[in-house]
Amino acid sequence: MHAMKPTAFLNSSIKDFTLNLNNDYRYLKTGYYVSVHAEVLGNRVIPSSESIIDASRTPILLLKASKAKIPTLPYLVTGSVKKIISELGFPLVVFAVNPFCYDGFRIAQNRSALYRAVKSLSMNYKFAVCAQPLKGEMVSFKSVFGKCEMEGEVANISMKVFEVFRLPICKLHVQKVGKEAYLCGLQPLRMEEVLPADLEMASEEVSRMSRKGEHLVG
Amino acid sequence: MARIACFVEKYNFSDQREATALQNFQRTAQRMGHEFNFLFREDIPEIPEYDAVFIRATTDPLFTSYVVSKTAWELGKKVIDDPESIQICGNKIHLYDLFEKHDVPHIPTVFLNKEDLHHKRLVEVFETLGKPIVVKAPYTSFSKYVEKVACETSFRDVAKRYFRKSDMLAVQTFMPTAFDWRVGVLNRKTLYVCKYMIPKGRWKHGAKRRGKPTFVWGRTVALKTENAPSKLKEVALKACDVIGHGLYGVDIKEFNGNYVVVEVNDNPSIYAGYEDSRNTDLYGKIIEYLVD
Repeated sequence: MHAMKPTAFLNSSIKDFTLNLNNDYRYLKTGYYVSVHAEVLGNRVIPSSESIIDASRTPILLLKASKAKIPTLPYLVTGSVKKIISELGFPLVVFAVNPFCYDGFRIAQNRSALYRAVKSLSMNYKFAVCAQPLKGEMVSFKSVFGKCEMEGEVANISMKVFEVFRLPICKLHVQKVGKEAYLCGLQPLRMEEVLPADLEMASEEVSRMSRKGEHLVG
Repeated sequence: MARIACFVEKYNFSDQREATALQNFQRTAQRMGHEFNFLFREDIPEIPEYDAVFIRATTDPLFTSYVVSKTAWELGKKVIDDPESIQICGNKIHLYDLFEKHDVPHIPTVFLNKEDLHHKRLVEVFETLGKPIVVKAPYTSFSKYVEKVACETSFRDVAKRYFRKSDMLAVQTFMPTAFDWRVGVLNRKTLYVCKYMIPKGRWKHGAKRRGKPTFVWGRTVALKTENAPSKLKEVALKACDVIGHGLYGVDIKEFNGNYVVVEVNDNPSIYAGYEDSRNTDLYGKIIEYLVD
């Protein structure tokens, strides 16, 4: 196993399995470019640049997740408040489709709250938003290699999302309805949100992978 | 009969030449016996009802058009532009990295990250690429976010602005030419060829008027595909080969008798009376590809 800084990797042409560890995998950020460079070199890489883009775009996240049998709720991608009200009703949870921000969802209980939420998440109606019905309570938590501090169905979702998208570190938004749980959204973590305990969990996972004989760069 | 959805945004109709081109697409499709509907942002949930999706709104992995493309792709529809092409062409770093790997002749390019923004490295860059140099943000389109700099101070100015959004940017040798070749490629075949002339006194096809928000664009001179130099078409096809099978517009510079690729764009602009003036069959060819 060989660990290196992202900038050093970007200037190199190492051909090996690449594990890209970063708190922020947003498009155009260093975490994204590391995966792109590894792919261009022909390396097997976790996560893939495609997953990076898709996971943070809520409608695509939900579409791919439901294809992989992860429970999701019906969603609507639109820029029109009227359409959201007529098709979904209240209460609602609204996500940005164009993620420039870290804290992406708003809960709307009524018409005026929905207008406010859509206006801010769509950057003044420049982009579309993704609305989902709110049936239970929203929980947000960190997922490190699919592991999290939650239990039951929620923990199950966290594991499955990691199996599909392979994002080593991210924040998940899940809706709990009784015993059931539904995936709602995924977001990158801020640097200060990554605690030493999370890093420990990540390094444990890395050493487990390298014991299995994988070569790691990241 | 196939059902084709054409994803557009309101701004696609603000230019009469583009609006006419969109109508030409619709008419051609209908003449060929297909249904061709414009799909706006509100209509995204209707994608499953169509057989193919043709995106004309500006593409970028951050825009709604990517969501449309990926949704259609995941549902097994035929899509122009497909999500992978948007991902590669939408990010010039990704594009040049691929060119380097596959030996596509392109303008000498150096990548910079935020840590490279110091005197020693910048002097090195000027030494390798010469002066002036062209600084390009990875998300450039329509000649925007591309600037020419000749000294370290202005370089830092431009780089700082571009680094706000992206952690990397591309720096290239400046190659002044009277025009850029634009080769339209569909499914690994040349679709149209034109010359994008550079306006007088400028250095790129679209340049901002000083002190005004408006752009001045150079003329577009279309050629019959068969009359274009074969070496040019070869280089264009080679560049597209590393990306995919979709619809691309390849920008090529002719410099000292050599052809070098400037960039490959997905979602190339098609304006009535411009790109199509010598290759009127391009509408039919695109529709045919969509329903194939």
